[in-house]
Amino acid sequence: MTTPVVQISHLSFGPVNKPILDNISLELEAGHFLGIVGPNGAGKSTLLNIIAGLTAPHSGHIDLFGRCLTRFSRHKLLRQIGFLHQLHDHAPRLPMRIRDVVAMGLADYATPWRRVVHSDAIREALKRVDMDHLANADFRQLSGGQRQRARLARALVRKPRLLLLDEPSAALDSVRQEKLFQLLRKLCDDTGMSVIMVEHDIAAISSHVDSVACLNRKIHHHAMKGEDIPNNVWRAMYGDHIHIMAHDARCIGCSPDEHNLPQDRQHG
Amino acid sequence: MDDLILEFLASPVMREALPPALLIAIVTASMSVMVMAHRLSFLTVGVSHASLAGLGLAVTLSLPLLPTATVFAVLIALLLALIPRKKGISEDAGTGILFAGSMALGVLLISTANSAEVDLFGLLFGNILTISPVDLKWLYFMSGLIPVLFFLAARAWWSIAFDAVTADASGLPVSSLRLLLYGLVGLTVILCVKLAGIVLTAGLMILPAACAWFWGRSLFSLWLLSVLFSLLGTITGLIWSYIYEWPSGATVVLALCALFVISWSLNWGKSWATVYKG
Repeated sequence: MTTPVVQISHLSFGPVNKPILDNISLELEAGHFLGIVGPNGAGKSTLLNIIAGLTAPHSGHIDLFGRCLTRFSRHKLLRQIGFLHQLHDHAPRLPMRIRDVVAMGLADYATPWRRVVHSDAIREALKRVDMDHLANADFRQLSGGQRQRARLARALVRKPRLLLLDEPSAALDSVRQEKLFQLLRKLCDDTGMSVIMVEHDIAAISSHVDSVACLNRKIHHHAMKGEDIPNNVWRAMYGDHIHIMAHDARCIGCSPDEHNLPQDRQHG
Repeated sequence: MDDLILEFLASPVMREALPPALLIAIVTASMSVMVMAHRLSFLTVGVSHASLAGLGLAVTLSLPLLPTATVFAVLIALLLALIPRKKGISEDAGTGILFAGSMALGVLLISTANSAEVDLFGLLFGNILTISPVDLKWLYFMSGLIPVLFFLAARAWWSIAFDAVTADASGLPVSSLRLLLYGLVGLTVILCVKLAGIVLTAGLMILPAACAWFWGRSLFSLWLLSVLFSLLGTITGLIWSYIYEWPSGATVVLALCALFVISWSLNWGKSWATVYKG
């Protein structure tokens, strides 16, 4: 059996009596596309930051690519990870061309003694997000969606083995959103890259991902493709006032079986 | 005019002042790109004023002026990098506190010292024309050291300025790099104090990159333009100061201000023209 890309065991974060993340265990194989859904404040971004090595968990263990993530291994392990976070500068000030922004994602960008020109890799990453015609444009002049795609290219340019995305579709229109998910699916299938993506809209992602983890402090359910998410999981995550609609047979967690529909519909 | 420039170059005082001034211009212009990118303008103001306390200390304890001031300025800059931002004390408040505190200490120390020893006007407003051979050695050492470190760390600083979270997630040692940046800004400020004095240092640390910001499109072009603006401003300033017998530091800063206004208006004109045509 191959070593999993990510292996999290019994991870907790936050005060013991009111944890933000509680006893999370998760395993991810190469080429797997995992969606994490959950309400606001569920700890989704915190979990992603912990996997990205930005925050240290209070207890538990993380292995990345079969090696333990510590303060000392962090530097090496993170070179194989692409990360797209949510806290963006909405008025970028630095004068930069798009291709310079993408170049920043290269693993050896900041080491002058190892500087190689990677213009092919940059062009390829920009092509993947349909931005190659804008390679020389000023980053400050772009729209929010275009900037988001440039940032995605920056995360992809180092050809990561693991890609972490925190609500990547927030600035994108629905066509771009669909294209993004298709691109991620294709990268997982073709290159064996694994993806962990936080999204709030399960309907939009469920036909693309391999599995969905429902997170609210704990992982309430981890549904593989074609599997249903029981109603009590939805209620545990979002409370009793949700209204569950089944709309697509391909969609994870919302198959239109009769037994899966809520008996007592209430509106919040 | 040509005669005056030849006369300027022939004058021994100016001939001695020109190389260190140009060296300072290159070093400060390089660092000013990072000062702009990391929004450290107020830090340069704070550290330059704080160096007065360092100078006061040096005068009181009869230590060598420039090295003492250097150590003091770097310490202040590092202290500012470590200010507990999470406790709600913002960086500008922290700078303000240290700025006022060390300025007050400096004034006290210098007022009790033998006033004949201290060229207060020179400290406050700078005088490149009276640089001593010892200071000169110190200055050459620093202006060798700073560009080397700048070259090694520039891209890392740049990506931190662009997006600190992603820089951190890609494995860069962000907090150490930030400490290094603050320390080097402290060092550079001391270099400037010799040329432009405590009060005018911020001009040299901000204006070159501010001019370049209108035209540059990448880190390299910004750096190059910033150095060119800085050299142009310094040479023009020194020539004016020679011709009209103005104080050198103030004249250089004024020349840089003039370059900034020109850049700004040209840029404004350019965007206005595009809108008008389009």
